[in-house]
Amino acid sequence: MPDDHTKSAEKHCVAPNRPMTCDLCDVRERSICADLNPREFAHVEKTMARRHVAKNKALMAEGEPNESLYIVVDGSFRLSKMLEDGRRQVTGFLFRGDFIGVRSTQSSAYTAEALEDSIVCFFPHRYLDEIAIDSPGVKDRLIARGQTEYHKAQDHIVLLGKKTAEERVLSFIEVIDKTIGADEGAQTRAVPFPMPRQDVADYLGLRLETLSRTLAALKQDGRILELQRRFVVIPKPK
Amino acid sequence: MMRFMKPHWRKYLGARAPRYTSFPSALHFDEQVTAVDFAARLREISLYEPLSIYVHVPFCRQMCWYCGCSMRVENDYARALRYVDALLLEVSRIGEILNGSGQPLSVHFGGGTPNYLQVDEIARILGAIESSLGLTDSTKLAIELDPRLIRGSDVARLAMLGFGRISIGVQDFDPDVQAAINRIQSFELVENAVGEMRGAGVNDISFDLLFGLPKQTPASFRDTMEKTIALAPDRVAIFGYAHLPAALPRQRLIEESTLPSSDIRIELSELADAMMIAAGYRRIGFDHYAKPDNALARADREGRLRRNFQGFTDDIAETTIAVGASAISEIEGLYAQNAKDLGEYYDRLGRGELATARGLAPSPRERIIGAAIRDLLCRFETEISAVLARVSPHEANAICGRLDALEADGVIEWRGDLIAITEGAGPLARIVAMALDPYENPVCGMTNRPFARAI
Repeated sequence: MPDDHTKSAEKHCVAPNRPMTCDLCDVRERSICADLNPREFAHVEKTMARRHVAKNKALMAEGEPNESLYIVVDGSFRLSKMLEDGRRQVTGFLFRGDFIGVRSTQSSAYTAEALEDSIVCFFPHRYLDEIAIDSPGVKDRLIARGQTEYHKAQDHIVLLGKKTAEERVLSFIEVIDKTIGADEGAQTRAVPFPMPRQDVADYLGLRLETLSRTLAALKQDGRILELQRRFVVIPKPK
Repeated sequence: MMRFMKPHWRKYLGARAPRYTSFPSALHFDEQVTAVDFAARLREISLYEPLSIYVHVPFCRQMCWYCGCSMRVENDYARALRYVDALLLEVSRIGEILNGSGQPLSVHFGGGTPNYLQVDEIARILGAIESSLGLTDSTKLAIELDPRLIRGSDVARLAMLGFGRISIGVQDFDPDVQAAINRIQSFELVENAVGEMRGAGVNDISFDLLFGLPKQTPASFRDTMEKTIALAPDRVAIFGYAHLPAALPRQRLIEESTLPSSDIRIELSELADAMMIAAGYRRIGFDHYAKPDNALARADREGRLRRNFQGFTDDIAETTIAVGASAISEIEGLYAQNAKDLGEYYDRLGRGELATARGLAPSPRERIIGAAIRDLLCRFETEISAVLARVSPHEANAICGRLDALEADGVIEWRGDLIAITEGAGPLARIVAMALDPYENPVCGMTNRPFARAI
């Protein structure tokens, strides 16, 4: 299915919705531009555009061309790919500060769909490549602080290699905590779950019933303090 | 009633043909394939590669005299529990090697009699597969049940575990036939089982029937078919009984004089076929039938039908990981069969190894022939230029000679480089496959091995 959103957004990469400065960007210090020098930053900023992606809309579709590097400024995305039998395999989640579309391609390996109303910035690769002529390595420095789809694949391999449902669920919470968790008081962390439970189950290679049972057991023994649909509260890791 | 068997085709019916659930068949397996080879292939499985998981439960409460499966009669449940422990160990060992790679699309429990095990044990095995290999809510779970062993809430509990496909060994409803094969199960028993399955939301129920059993007559088999159709299973597999008493001692308990003649066998098979088609089922391959809206029928319509050790399937996974004694895995063409003997199966696992005892790594040439045979059986046509290019000129001549004879008899027709089985000759698909099989047509020296009759 052609992704009209992506296509129309591409056309507008230097259009009026391009931000004049990056002051609005919540993640600027943390990931996008921290490793760029001022000259590179000025270049990169000119080629950047911002885009809203409504919940459940695709930012990128498997099998479709993609020519931009995206950075999640706000919100979250699910990465998935179709298996041969038409089933969807959830392969990862993107949060604030994460990157996707690290290489320009005629056929994306993933579909990225917004789990909530989200905002991304994007840089067409052809401009980044032009900047790279003057500033070799600019792309690498741009994404130095964030995680890309390749990191997500690595995460998934590690999670799926865990031996028990409990280990997989705990590791998953830990990964999410490191990315978007926040202190909630001195002793506890709130870890958002912007994705439906079914996505978590599919991602971890567990059945929904097993995931629910495992979460309930973790709540029971105190490794989860509060279990809500959209977040969990855990003790602060030592 | 449709008469699909032309008189001059009858000469093919006495011929014995392999079932071709693999090529080369398991009879060619040897000990050159070891657990080391199997482990090496397991390590090559990619992260999202679709897997089909097979779990073999070799136990039965009593012996059915027709059976050709790898099974043993067991009266001591403690011994079954020991087997379950071994299965859990095997699953976890395979999981350690896979380390998260491969995604199971389906899990099939076969036997023997899977429900010789209680539902608690089946749940534990499933839990081990979930922990070690991963399961999702869309993984299709299937199990074969002996209706005589279904207890209390078994069916409801299996449905709760997620089993959406259940197959029942029916064989024949006639009491005389049942007595002659030592498998006595009333129509009401099967009817109740089907009712429980429907009540529990199982919407893919499959029956296995056999023709050519002792004491079967066209009248008795018509009655069996009527009862089958009345219960409206979603799939029906109708196999020809293979009487091979020399190879299968238990079949010596069947009185040979009570077996139907080969003319009656043909009549039984035609009768069953006509009744299934009249009842609205779609013919799948040469021995399966499915309701038109069933997943198997959809796969057949869309050209996705495949063949594995369980027969015709809509499973798209090309990799089968099979656990349990005698179970056969297939990865990238490598067949690896576990030890058949329980003691040996336990010993290998106890030594910290995988249970592989034998197998076969098909040569490139065998893989090409195997692919052509699968095409013939699943789609009734295949391109044979690749086969002819890979065999010796001598063999190519011999294959063409056999195909010419089949063409002259109207069993196949050539369409360019394709050979296609003609309308109505589907039941002879295995005979056509055999024409491509160098092992079934020994040039010199090789002995013929005993196989089931094609019809």
